[in-house]
Amino acid sequence: MPLLKDMEPIVKKFYDGVAEGKYYGRKCKECGAIEFPPHLACNTCGYHETEWVELSGHGTLKSFVVPGIQNDKPYLKAIAPYGYGAVELDEGPIYSFVVFAGKKKIVKGLQQRLADGEVIGVHAKPIDREVPLKPGEPEMVHFSELCFELDEVAE
Amino acid sequence: MKVGKYARSVSIVGVGCTPFTNFEDHPETKGMSEGDAFGYAALEAIADAGLEPRDIQYFYHGAANPFMIGDSLTPNMQVADWFGVRGIGSVHHSEACCTGYVAMQEAAMAIASGEFDIVLSGAVDLAASLPVVGAPGHMRRDFPLEEMLPSIPMVYDRAYGRPLDSAFGISFDNWINEYRWTYGLSADDIDRALNAIAKSMRRASVLNPRGFYDVDFDQIAQANGMPDADAFLTSMMNPKVTQYLRVTGFETKCDGAAAIVMMPTEMAVARGLDHKVIDLLGTGSAAYEGATLANEKTGTIRGTKQCYELTGVSPDEIDLLFINDFFMAGDIVVPEEVGYVPRGEAWQYAIDGRFAFDGDKPINTHGGRCNFGHAHGASGIADIVEAVWQMRGEAGATQMKKLPKTTMFRGFGGGQNIRVQLIRTHE
Repeated sequence: MPLLKDMEPIVKKFYDGVAEGKYYGRKCKECGAIEFPPHLACNTCGYHETEWVELSGHGTLKSFVVPGIQNDKPYLKAIAPYGYGAVELDEGPIYSFVVFAGKKKIVKGLQQRLADGEVIGVHAKPIDREVPLKPGEPEMVHFSELCFELDEVAE
Repeated sequence: MKVGKYARSVSIVGVGCTPFTNFEDHPETKGMSEGDAFGYAALEAIADAGLEPRDIQYFYHGAANPFMIGDSLTPNMQVADWFGVRGIGSVHHSEACCTGYVAMQEAAMAIASGEFDIVLSGAVDLAASLPVVGAPGHMRRDFPLEEMLPSIPMVYDRAYGRPLDSAFGISFDNWINEYRWTYGLSADDIDRALNAIAKSMRRASVLNPRGFYDVDFDQIAQANGMPDADAFLTSMMNPKVTQYLRVTGFETKCDGAAAIVMMPTEMAVARGLDHKVIDLLGTGSAAYEGATLANEKTGTIRGTKQCYELTGVSPDEIDLLFINDFFMAGDIVVPEEVGYVPRGEAWQYAIDGRFAFDGDKPINTHGGRCNFGHAHGASGIADIVEAVWQMRGEAGATQMKKLPKTTMFRGFGGGQNIRVQLIRTHE
């Protein structure tokens, strides 16, 4: 019986965690698979109950596409060369994220490295975002967007 | 027009409903997204049915205005992961305040056709606030009246009904006005009847842990130095905002989600649930554009006739009636139109408190749209959930004295769709 006390806002905890450098998922109480980003139930086995688990924020790049004119985002380009990639966290879940690559020439070479079977490590790299509270008005709200970065950029 | 029977009988086997409130006002739920809320209601319904999410074969998602209050065009796609059904087929539908009744009808048709056996039908509207466009789902902002009001006429026809002002202005009062003059009543008689319904419905909402309000009108009167509820209800603190309707005769806009799980009756009985199986006997359907003369009355007559002819049920078999009363006059005129109470007497039934959950002719036992709260697209399903709890004897402090066996819904909304539905406890 979900009364207010039983209804924890899952989305909020995820984003609040990212802002603090913590990465929360939900682990299935039946099959052990992890929902990341978190949801209430398990989409791996279809069981109803999951519980909070804190994740490392580290994983490997599984695929990568280079943005073109159609899917380029200026706010991302302003930070660093990037692409869109599937990231498998060390704990198992896979989801698509923005992946920063450090240099343009690294972006161009990533698909070949993946095709060659190279294991390419990535780590969480949250960025600050702001959007207008109300369209066309000056007051802004802020949130942390979870992106990833190649480990080699930080090395 | 005659409506055919389902190719196989379909039953409600699980129900779920969140509190109807403003999630942003409560520290424990501040930051609730549409996905969270739909997920909580859906998972309660699935558990109530004795199932797991993996058992659901198809689902319906309802919302009254997902573009504006959900920042979303494809909300069914966006809630599936929340209750563990990633990958199964689903559809979104939107019939404004009639969404929740269409939700039951569509799910039943999907099962009766033989295409699916186990279908979830849910709806969510976070109607008390607006999304921050482009921000994550937990970020909401205030929803002031000046932003809501321009959206209401969008349910009316752009060609004529809206530009000619032929729909919005007349729709609140035309049926109750006709009723008043048909039976030679005064405006004060109607006012007393509506205020009495407000008191009955508010009492139910206060007693219901999912209802919007925590205080009744006597307490509000006392807090404002007035002797009793009637003094408050007829005061300038509760002015008439149409010819007949006071502020308390209009919806309480809020957040909420609700869901039901349906399956073939034969399967439900064979599964041996630990609660009663509730059969959907049938649905009468109508839709009249808002500027159609007397559209609420005309649609109710058409839908009711279909429903009675289809099911063979007679009005005297109805134990409980739900009326979408986002403007409260429906609580007087509809009980007569569907034959729940004698012609010309509903206003007196209201004054005598007979429509209350503990009266002899209960309507809207959770408090209705004006008092339980109105989370637009989700409210019709919340009615069904409440009816099922009443029919199982699980309604808690607002449980009817006599366990209802047959319940009617008069769904209404979206300028205006009508659904008249009957559900009955399976013997």
